[in-house]
Amino acid sequence: MARGTTIRMWRRSIFVLAALIIVGFGVIIFRLIKLQLFQGESLQQMALEQQLKDTKINAQRGTIYDRNMKPLAQSATVWTVVLESAYLKDDKVKEKIADGLSQILDEDKNEILEKSKKKSFYTIVKRKVESDVKDKIIEFQKENKITTGIRLVEDYKRYYTYGDFASCVLGFTGTDSQGLAGLESYYNEYLTGQSGRLVTARNAVGTDMPFDYEKMIPAQNGNNLVLCIDEVIQHFLEKGLEEGIINNKVMNRAGAIMMDVNTGEILGMAVKGGFDPNKPFEIADQTVKEQIELLPEEDRAKIKAEALEAQWRNKLVSDTYMPGSVYKQITTAMAFEENLINEKTAFNCTGSFVPFQGARPIKCHKHGGHGLQVFARAFCNSCNPSFIQIGQKIGAERFYKYYQAFGFTEKTGIDLPGEANGIFFSKDGSMGPMDLAVASFGQNFSITPIQMITACAAVANGGHLVQPHIVKQITDNEGNIVKNFDKIEKRQVISEQTSKRICDLLMQNAIDGGAKNGYIAGYRIGGKTGTTQKIGNSGPGGMDYISSFCGIAPADNPRYILLIYYDTPKGPSYYGAAVAAPTFAKIMQDALPYLGVERKYTDEEIAKLDIQVPFLVGSSVDQAKNQAINLQLNPVVYGSGETVISQIPDFSTKMPKGGTIVLYTDKESADKKVIVPKFIGLNLATANREASAAKLNIIIKGSSLSSSSSVCASQSIAEGAEVKPGTVINLVFAQSKTEHKD
Amino acid sequence: MVRNYNKFVAEVKNSGERRNKRTSKSKKSIGSKKLLSVSKRLTPIRKKFKIFSIRSGLDMPFFFINMAILVIGLIMLFSASYPNAYYYKHGDSYYFIRSQLIWAVIGVVAMIAISYFDYHHLHKLAVPILGLSFVLLIVVLFMPMVNGVHRWIPLGPIGFQASEITKFAIVLSFAHFISINFKRMGTFRYGVLPYGIILVLTAFLLYLEPHISCLIIVVLLAGGMLYIGGVKLRWFGLVLAVALAAVGYVVLFTDKLGYANGRVQGWLDPFTTNPNVDTWQTKQGLYAIGSGGLWGLGLGQSRQKYLYIPEPQNDFIFSVVCEELGFIGALIILILFAMLIWRGIIISMRAKDKFGALLGIGLTAQVGLQVILNIFVVTNTIPNTGISLPFFSYGGTSLVMLLAQMGIVLSISRTSKIEKT
Repeated sequence: MARGTTIRMWRRSIFVLAALIIVGFGVIIFRLIKLQLFQGESLQQMALEQQLKDTKINAQRGTIYDRNMKPLAQSATVWTVVLESAYLKDDKVKEKIADGLSQILDEDKNEILEKSKKKSFYTIVKRKVESDVKDKIIEFQKENKITTGIRLVEDYKRYYTYGDFASCVLGFTGTDSQGLAGLESYYNEYLTGQSGRLVTARNAVGTDMPFDYEKMIPAQNGNNLVLCIDEVIQHFLEKGLEEGIINNKVMNRAGAIMMDVNTGEILGMAVKGGFDPNKPFEIADQTVKEQIELLPEEDRAKIKAEALEAQWRNKLVSDTYMPGSVYKQITTAMAFEENLINEKTAFNCTGSFVPFQGARPIKCHKHGGHGLQVFARAFCNSCNPSFIQIGQKIGAERFYKYYQAFGFTEKTGIDLPGEANGIFFSKDGSMGPMDLAVASFGQNFSITPIQMITACAAVANGGHLVQPHIVKQITDNEGNIVKNFDKIEKRQVISEQTSKRICDLLMQNAIDGGAKNGYIAGYRIGGKTGTTQKIGNSGPGGMDYISSFCGIAPADNPRYILLIYYDTPKGPSYYGAAVAAPTFAKIMQDALPYLGVERKYTDEEIAKLDIQVPFLVGSSVDQAKNQAINLQLNPVVYGSGETVISQIPDFSTKMPKGGTIVLYTDKESADKKVIVPKFIGLNLATANREASAAKLNIIIKGSSLSSSSSVCASQSIAEGAEVKPGTVINLVFAQSKTEHKD
Repeated sequence: MVRNYNKFVAEVKNSGERRNKRTSKSKKSIGSKKLLSVSKRLTPIRKKFKIFSIRSGLDMPFFFINMAILVIGLIMLFSASYPNAYYYKHGDSYYFIRSQLIWAVIGVVAMIAISYFDYHHLHKLAVPILGLSFVLLIVVLFMPMVNGVHRWIPLGPIGFQASEITKFAIVLSFAHFISINFKRMGTFRYGVLPYGIILVLTAFLLYLEPHISCLIIVVLLAGGMLYIGGVKLRWFGLVLAVALAAVGYVVLFTDKLGYANGRVQGWLDPFTTNPNVDTWQTKQGLYAIGSGGLWGLGLGQSRQKYLYIPEPQNDFIFSVVCEELGFIGALIILILFAMLIWRGIIISMRAKDKFGALLGIGLTAQVGLQVILNIFVVTNTIPNTGISLPFFSYGGTSLVMLLAQMGIVLSISRTSKIEKT
């Protein structure tokens, strides 16, 4: 019995052993190879999905700069206050934290206390907390020796440096820093950057593992935009429009675009009646805001949404209008290019015109008509009957051909969201004789203001239709250029020659035609006004109008083009010449010197030109008098001294020829005051007389130099003020009555 | 030195002669078939402990392979258990490993002690232990349920599973009965009936617990031992046919085994989205195994042990091993286990008597079966059922029991005709 194994037992044992090892372990190894080597990756993927907690690290959104690298929109660091309540064990500490945070953050204490009781590692207490508040929290932690439980997570907030400024261009961002409108939306992809990730392992209960397992992929900050827009020019536009809106009681916002004629770079684009992109969801217009607050609750949200939609809307790109007489330069370009007329072609205007047999006569804005006139005059008179005849010469087919060529049937491709399409009479371009008649002077079809200015730029720059653009280049974090936006020329529409001839007409029009309110001495302004009725949208006070002005400078070699656009002016006048042209002049007067456009004066202008006041202090009275007279100034001496001890105006001040320079020879006389008279309403000659009588100097701005019928519209120092004699007062002159109702 | 060496050689020779004498003496006693008298005639082995001696020391390869597995097992237990310990034992990461280490020390001491114990004394204990096994299996049914089953018998601060004793009792008693009835194993009365009765009774009691995994192991162990013991193959064929018929009947004609059905469903599709089928443990285990890939995430780097795998220190510890050590690490551990089983069975086959041979093969096969079935479960090769991984899974009494059993194998090795260095 105690004998060892038998042969059979041995064999059977070997069999059992072999079964265990080969079958058992063999199957195991087969299974492990399958699971670990073949399905390993997919299983690991599934495991990771449940194990990893992904925390987003926000990327800093790129800055938007103007062309001179002044920041217009930038993201600054703010903080998200997060409670890691799972680390908090002691109720007293929780109480203390809730107390402290509620005070610093101005939040409800009980709410924070509630949050601190959750077994979580990430409960947001407050978002977008500024750095000074963050410092207070850190201080609070230090004071109370709180080492865990509060976490401050970096985030970004968008700041718009100038507030309500270029808002319809810049747009704004939402809570997660995503671009929602304007450039912020159009270039969102570039600006956003790549958010980073903080991957932490978490266990099955969802809390972080208490052991170090962290992987950080840093965020890649967004690219910057460098705009063609010049902050200074933009400010000129905004200021000009603001004034215009007030003066003309503009009801439905106003816009202005300034563009480089040759490259299509937008130097400024303003829509006034906009919003503050720092607070995009607030109604910027106080009256609208108050009206909404008076509404019953249920209507409020809807009306508010509409109002917000309206204030965000970039009228210049997303809205269409009938261009009216501004379009006449396009019609002229067609006719010149096709050699149908020239400057000397004669047109007769009897005050109305019947385009074809049996049609309703179309009136000219001048009752009684302009009579017989050469075309150049008809252009300056903005004579509708003349243009109807020109339109008939062009014919519908050619008209539409050029209409397409000038880009009115396509989007300009400007880098802003929501560009609208124009509306023509028909989709295939056919038009009836009446359509053609009114289209010749810009009526009954709709285009966007950006299309209008782009076409006008083509007329001015030698016929090249360029693509307008706002962004000049995209740079990365370190300032390296990622992308450059060069000039894109779509096609040449008209010849250089035609372009030149129309520029001359436009300049003529600004000198003594309908656009003279836009004239500025020395800058060779060329321009065309426009006034159009808004279709089917008559307000309570009669018809609603859009007044516009589109002008170039300098007309002998055009560089800049500016379009002014007022929607629904309800002031004393609604004509483009009276409403839009003064704004044009005002903006250009500031902008052109800034842009370094050289002045060139005609002899007539030189005669009226301002001179610089010489330095006369210290000279003897006689010497000073002589010097002043030589400079065509009118010296007035106060006091009994021998030498001049002070002068008004000061050295190097600009003043008109024939102005008064006051020389003081003793101290007593320096206290002398004069009273400012009323200049408003006076014509240039009377104003001059009044000024010299009061021993004051005036500087004339506006259309006074080119027109005899203009009167003073505003004075820089109010009537009745006491000033020293010789003080310079700025007067702005404008047309007293509109000669051309175009 | 030379003298010492000579003395050493002489001693070895002497001991060999003495052994041979005893062996020839005990040959005669085979004739008497009285069970209890067998051990009386075997004088206890009184020999000096010699590590490098042939046929007297214990088997070094087996011992060291076993120690290696134990050490790796303890390291892996610590790695797998500390997150659970941290979260559920009040931040005490050492909760499981501390207790396991203590039991491991006790177990190793017991193993070495038992290796000095002449295993022939176990002849006397075979019937009492079988009796104890039945008693415990009945007692355990009256114990409070844990996780829906009656498995644990509380014994003061510790608890142990009745089935641990059962497995040993079956191996021991079968080795005992087969060795004394070896010549008549071909008959039904002596070769099949008694074992059948013991097995059916045991299986029935285990089914009542229920403890299906232990039942499977017991049946497989018993079957293996009877096979080696010389039972005619036709009986196996018959049992297999009956078992297949029974399984076929259950599968085809009953639907009341919802519990089992769910398991089968979960086994066939561990990633099922069916909310009625709980495959969480299997799924998490597979994630862990897959995550390991070829080289593993590195020791201690398992992520699945962070409360994803329920009780990673228990049955599913091997999935954590696979995750941390990869396919290569798992393969090395499998090779160690295979070597242990191979060595254990070889030792037993060369044991000087059939009792030793059967006992050793049974005990070694028990370890092998548990390893294989455990990893089958973890790799979802068979439906999920609770089988722990020997030397790795947490459980003090089970570890001591295993080490003690390995001590018996070592005891057998002392008289086994095998090169032991």
